[in-house]
Amino acid sequence: MAREARGGRALIGIGLAGLALVYVLALQFTPIERFQGLPQKIFYVHVPAAWSALLAFSMVGIASILYLWLKDPRVDLFAESAAEAGLVFSLVMLTTGPLWGKPVWNTWWTWDARLTFTLILFFLFLGYRALRGALQDPGERARFSAVLGIMGLILVPFVHLTVYLFRTLHPQPIVLKPSEPSLPWSMLRTLLISVLSYTVLLIGFITTRYGVGRRVLFSGDDHGR
Amino acid sequence: MDVDPHANAGYVIAAYCITALILVGYALRLWLRSRKAGGSGDRSAS
Repeated sequence: MAREARGGRALIGIGLAGLALVYVLALQFTPIERFQGLPQKIFYVHVPAAWSALLAFSMVGIASILYLWLKDPRVDLFAESAAEAGLVFSLVMLTTGPLWGKPVWNTWWTWDARLTFTLILFFLFLGYRALRGALQDPGERARFSAVLGIMGLILVPFVHLTVYLFRTLHPQPIVLKPSEPSLPWSMLRTLLISVLSYTVLLIGFITTRYGVGRRVLFSGDDHGR
Repeated sequence: MDVDPHANAGYVIAAYCITALILVGYALRLWLRSRKAGGSGDRSAS
């Protein structure tokens, strides 16, 4: 546990240092986009948050499938840790999105497919948290929440594909697409460093949370999780 | 037509501040929880 927590905290430190570097790069050394102007710089904190949230929710789904197969409480604990980290990154995504949308789309929010499905995914994992808090029996809690985690996993690719399947205000991917990224190198460099920092931060959050949960799990005080 | 490069700076500042607040806040919470659970201490390892 001490090893996991130490490793996790080190990763969190590296991730936060990377985030500070991204702020400097994005605000000082990356050009201002010609049509959107300054608000386009929100891109460098919003897109990596969406990436990290969807990655975390995918991990929850995969761990949930593995739990139903293996019945190992450590896998359930990993799913719980990833869900919590996913919610944190979703919160970043759902607050920075409207702050970008207002100056560019002239509205804080619109009920189009991408935004609506992202919100549904966020509420699904809030429900996941609530469900875990409501069930006392560890086996029952792990089994029921695994089913919900798998439902979240089904939603993840759907959220990514909404911009292709429906008419939406949200732009289509400019990096994760079949053709080459349509960004100049100076912008792509900042985005890639940001994605890397967020990913390190995500792994640090999950590892530290897993370490805390594991300590509580083996001490027998299940409520402390 | 090019836009004013300094327009809407408040939205960018707000987005960057909120992001830092959420991520640093959660990191701090986890750090406190891991300390409480005995993780900071290398006593548990010894």
